Amino acid sequence: MKKVGALPKLYLALVLLVTYLPIAVVIVFSFNDAKLPVSWTGFSWRWYEALLRDAALMEALRNSLLLGAASSAFAAVIGTLGAIGMARAHYKTKGMMEYLSTLPIMLPEIILGMVFMAFFALLRLPFGWTTLIIAHTSFCIPYVFLMVKARLVGIDKSIEEAARDLGASPARTFFDVTLPLILPAVLSGCILSFAMSFDDVVISIFVSSPTVSTLPIKVYTQMRTGVTPEINALCTLILIAVVLILLVSAALRRKSASDGKQ
Amino acid sequence: MIKKLFAPLCAALLLLGMLAGCAGKQETSGELVLYTWEGMFPQEVLDGFTERTGTKIVYSNFDYDETMLEKLTAANGGDYDVVIADDYIIEQAVRSGLVAALDKSAIPNFGNINPLYQGQFYDPDDAYTVPYGAGIPLIVYDPAATGFEITRYEDLWNPALRDAVAITANYRVINGITLLSMGESMNTEDLDVIAQAGEKLLDLAPNIRLSQDDNTQDALLNGEASAAFLYTSQVTQVLAADPSLEVVYPAEGLGFGIMAAFVPVNAPNASAAHAFLNYLLEPEVSKACFEWLGYYNTNGAADDIVDPQLVVPASVTSGEIIQNVSEAANDAYNRNWTAFKAACGQ
Amino acid sequence: MKRGRIWLCAAPLYAFTLVFVLGPALYLVALSFAQNTAGTGFCWAFTLENFARMRDPIYLKCFRESFRLALSTTVLNVLLGYPFGYFMGRLGARGKRLLTFLIMAPFWTSSLIRLYGWIILLQVKGVFNRVLLWLGVVDEPLKILYSYPAVLIGMVYALLPFMILAVYTSVEKLDWTLVEAARDLGASRVKAFCTVTLRLTLPGLMSGVVLTFVPSMGLFFIADILGGNKIVLVGSLIQDQMTRGGNQPFAAALALVLAAMTTLMLWLYRRLTGTSELEGVV
Repeated sequence: MKKVGALPKLYLALVLLVTYLPIAVVIVFSFNDAKLPVSWTGFSWRWYEALLRDAALMEALRNSLLLGAASSAFAAVIGTLGAIGMARAHYKTKGMMEYLSTLPIMLPEIILGMVFMAFFALLRLPFGWTTLIIAHTSFCIPYVFLMVKARLVGIDKSIEEAARDLGASPARTFFDVTLPLILPAVLSGCILSFAMSFDDVVISIFVSSPTVSTLPIKVYTQMRTGVTPEINALCTLILIAVVLILLVSAALRRKSASDGKQ
Repeated sequence: MIKKLFAPLCAALLLLGMLAGCAGKQETSGELVLYTWEGMFPQEVLDGFTERTGTKIVYSNFDYDETMLEKLTAANGGDYDVVIADDYIIEQAVRSGLVAALDKSAIPNFGNINPLYQGQFYDPDDAYTVPYGAGIPLIVYDPAATGFEITRYEDLWNPALRDAVAITANYRVINGITLLSMGESMNTEDLDVIAQAGEKLLDLAPNIRLSQDDNTQDALLNGEASAAFLYTSQVTQVLAADPSLEVVYPAEGLGFGIMAAFVPVNAPNASAAHAFLNYLLEPEVSKACFEWLGYYNTNGAADDIVDPQLVVPASVTSGEIIQNVSEAANDAYNRNWTAFKAACGQ
Repeated sequence: MKRGRIWLCAAPLYAFTLVFVLGPALYLVALSFAQNTAGTGFCWAFTLENFARMRDPIYLKCFRESFRLALSTTVLNVLLGYPFGYFMGRLGARGKRLLTFLIMAPFWTSSLIRLYGWIILLQVKGVFNRVLLWLGVVDEPLKILYSYPAVLIGMVYALLPFMILAVYTSVEKLDWTLVEAARDLGASRVKAFCTVTLRLTLPGLMSGVVLTFVPSMGLFFIADILGGNKIVLVGSLIQDQMTRGGNQPFAAALALVLAAMTTLMLWLYRRLTGTSELEGVV
């Protein structure tokens, strides 16, 4: 039944090819000697050297990774629990709350950033990590929530009920039955959230403090001098890192699978 | 299931913990918070200041001038020690009481400033600011592609340039050059004149290939446009990449922009801020900064040592600076711009 | 049973949304009725002026263009993304893992830089034109960049992964025995697909539509970069008003109307496809 024909496979391959075309260009031009990304003037490591010398950029990268991890983790917990709670119970406010929670991705960033700043100032929250994490969590939640919600539709409630009838505690039912069923959706939501947080400039600028800067802030505020190919180099390195992490985790998975068999 | 997840989660947390440890370490004594766009200083200049004074520079960034004003307002003129931004927004910051008067006894190099850039509308008595670079947006074109000589803004309207002009995307600047081409002031508040400029802009629309603030200069190099109206740093960059291009100082008059540094009223470390401004006015430091930045040198004492291209030609004795205008005029300029963009897409 | 406990699950979402979304949203509503003053400032005096000004044909055009672009983007995304998510959901475990990774990996690079990649590909002296000239397909390089199709390419490219992942997560958990049952009962492949598969994956498609249509209404930097800033969108109008335009209340009013339009569209979509009923069946 689950056979995928040659034509669909060709389609999948074609879409992926187009997806990677611009990225291939970015990678190639990270080795270009010229500053302007217009023509090829020769192979050079200069942007990688510049990148590694740039201590502020490296600190910003660390901050961005931390911020993305923290916000997507908060969003995963709040969004997943929220989707489960709302799917399994019926409140009059349900529709309204769903709508409100997607508002942060509905408003243009610049206005959201400004409103967040004014609102945090009103609450007298000190700008910095707290405000950054709150703001990022708010626009990450919709990704997790919507993904999990779609997954929950049609998952048979009777499985959970059966588990509970067999004496499993609600917590146990959640961890052993519900969570494994929705895990792919939670992970997709997390990945999307992390990516959105990792790419956000405008909101971050509004809610950050002078001492906490993120990678996109450093990259996109070069308004007066133009973005340098350093960022191409950085994108290339990040892609390499992502590929490496994935290969390692795949290898570990294979190892644990074969250990399990023995 | 859970066990499988546990190990990678632990590893990730551990890694994050280490990263957090790195991010957390900070020297507590003597910081100077510098607030401006990224890439405004060569790293050596910032390091040089730290070496000399022991003050660590925290380089914080904003994207738009207005964002800076919002943040500075929210911080009640605190948090930041030195801010560098555009002329018109400084006028607003001064009016809002967010800018401290400079203690000139702490800036012995204050006299180095080229007087051409002093006494401007945003700081008529030179009480608050030290200019840091000037820009004059200019026309750059490829004579081989246009087939005729460009000398004025008016030439951008030439039908021969159909779908071949790249311009910056600042609505006041584009309204401004249209007004200059009509012999009017860039800062007119006369709504009828602004409406006429709007009409004239619609005639420019068919010629526009693109309008963008970032990387506009690339269009001249990649064959998308044969003439472009560019900011100063873009002019410098594109000429370095292709010296066969021609630069035009349009005959109708020039638009000036000045970036300047100021110290906010509640700056945490005002003494370091003054020391930094004084440092920037040293001729050697200015030379390094402006050659890095590609903007016109505003430090008169550095004119002799800086790249001559970065000294405003003697023929330019004045230029009009875009100033804040009345609310009604501003709305009219905005409307012109939106109508113009809509016409470009037709 | 246990309705009380289930309530606790949604509590964090309720609390967070009420404080950190509703709060700022109310501030935004208040701001849209405030009066603009010269410079970037405003004062809290009630006025309807910000909404009245939108009746100007030029501003109405911005809304129309934003809507048109968002709609075409979403339709293209459904057409391209649904089959992708569907086939992906039918691959083996390894294939699924590989494709999820391949779809997501580009997300870790900066979105702006990927657009610059497109510029290098599409520009007059770019890779694409060189290939076409070399193949002899065209004699003159094509001017693809800074046109509507270029913007559409960029928009679809940026948002396609959302659609794919949303469809994929719901196809992946699909109970294929239901489809088989339909086939056994004599339904044609097409009929089985339409009545069973499509209907059961509709919630995923709905999430995908929300995740692509909603952001595309406000997204404007793609139109700026790949379209040369020649399409007037509400998003860039808001940006202009927030920056040099210096009119925050007008920007707030524009954002509210934009959000209202988006909401209306989503509501209509739910009504037309009957997704809302389906969501009730849990």
